[in-house]
Amino acid sequence: MSITLSTTPVATKPALPDWAIFGLILAVGGILAFASRTFPASMPFFAPFEFSWTEYLAAVCAAWFYWRGVARMQASRRPNPWRQFAFALGLGLIYGVLQTRYDYMAQHMFFLNRFQHLVMHHLGPFLLALSWPGEALAGGLPPFLHRLIHSRPVQRLTWALQNPLLTGVLFVGVIDVWLYPPINFRAMIDPRLYTFMNWTMVIDGIFFWCFVLDPRESPPARHGFAVRLVTVILVMFPQIALGSYLTFATHDLYAFYAVCGRLYPGISPLTDQAYGGMMVWIPASMMSGVAFLLALNNLRLAEDRRSPEQMTEAERAMAELSRRWTGR
Amino acid sequence: MPAAKTSLCLARFVGLLGLVACVLFTFPGNARAADWSGVDVTGAAPRLRFTLTDANTGKQVTARDFHGKIVLLYLGYTHCPDVCPLTLQRVTTVLSNLGTQRRDVRMLFVTVDPARDTLPLLRQYTAAFAPEIIGLRGTAQQIARLAKRYRLAYSVSPATATHAYEVTHSSAIYVFNRNGRARLLEASLASRTPDLKGVTQDLRRLINAHGGGAMAWLDQAL
Repeated sequence: MSITLSTTPVATKPALPDWAIFGLILAVGGILAFASRTFPASMPFFAPFEFSWTEYLAAVCAAWFYWRGVARMQASRRPNPWRQFAFALGLGLIYGVLQTRYDYMAQHMFFLNRFQHLVMHHLGPFLLALSWPGEALAGGLPPFLHRLIHSRPVQRLTWALQNPLLTGVLFVGVIDVWLYPPINFRAMIDPRLYTFMNWTMVIDGIFFWCFVLDPRESPPARHGFAVRLVTVILVMFPQIALGSYLTFATHDLYAFYAVCGRLYPGISPLTDQAYGGMMVWIPASMMSGVAFLLALNNLRLAEDRRSPEQMTEAERAMAELSRRWTGR
Repeated sequence: MPAAKTSLCLARFVGLLGLVACVLFTFPGNARAADWSGVDVTGAAPRLRFTLTDANTGKQVTARDFHGKIVLLYLGYTHCPDVCPLTLQRVTTVLSNLGTQRRDVRMLFVTVDPARDTLPLLRQYTAAFAPEIIGLRGTAQQIARLAKRYRLAYSVSPATATHAYEVTHSSAIYVFNRNGRARLLEASLASRTPDLKGVTQDLRRLINAHGGGAMAWLDQAL
């Protein structure tokens, strides 16, 4: 697969000033907003079903700032093509399940809705964290956003959210809260609550996977690899419990889909619910396994980076011993 | 950051979470759910708004034309073999249960199949049930706008060589109060165990809630 993202030359003078690019983004957003409101019956699949300004602007601006940050970096410091690809794919998937006609399908089939949440909360943020875009984004952010992110309250909040217990409880908690049937019904009916739900899922997902997939040692990361490895495994069990509960439930828990209509009447409510449950149960918890291996690899790489002078006597002996069979 | 400060931060955060949970669990939809037969959607679903063509008069109508009435909103189609006639039959029963109060209620039967449901056909169809049931027809865009606004699913797939003409639609009835505010979602009327008494009671409560003065004004404004 050829990836052309990284080979863009460093732009010494931008072709368009910032305000013009932002104006263009706003104009395209305005057209999408108007068209999806006025001609809902003739919108193509890739156009938003329910246009959301916040979701649209966040996704498009993130892509813009990242691309600009990468272009401004020295070629040797740029993230490798796979990381750039992971960023583009993660962002694209999140945008795709929220701001296309897929959103309509996810509103009218429980298992498609679970897939949407899987992408918003697991797969998309997982890929974003894997791309570890902090440095590239920092280089591309407008100064006021950069200042905001580095302001004390935001820094304190992100620090607090990296408490492993809090991170784990929040990760499982947002899934559970939005699946509590009365809340789920309201979130599906109320467009504002629906957007809020989607935001909480994406933001929590990004926090959690950045916590787990952080390639750095502690410090500067708040916690060492052991804490992260344990956390990512522990969140698996509540998801398995919830997923299997939904899969084997003998009555329809989510009235919204029956009342407001299912996309495929051929799939019975209980089958739909069972598929949805399996989505929570299997792929969602499998992500923990994949993340565990990636975090282990991060640990190995971090240890490899240490010079012999940074090691204790015992660690040096261990490194010497393992060199005999790893050959490194 | 010192440990004490972190735990203080954490305590505050947990407190905030608790507060959010309290607010969520005291949502009007939960607290008074038992009182209604339908699901309370007050404040969640958007207020009544549409532009469609009235099958009785052939004129364009909007939500404003039904101001002051309790409005039931339903998507269906006249060729519907089961769910629509069953639902309309049961609404007719509810209307007769209401006695003279039925004059305060209008049911809007919006066709999702405008290609086959012409205005005369629609008029003839609704007339077979009750005069309070009004057939409405619109362009593809008008119907899609309405369905999207209330999160209702429908689809029309014209006949092909291998498939018969197929239409799917939701079974929900949205109930709006006199000011056009969404109040309830009635789900039981197409089911095997319709709660006719409960739905009648729901409508009676909405009819009797005159909400004069400040409350009506607030209802309008929100």
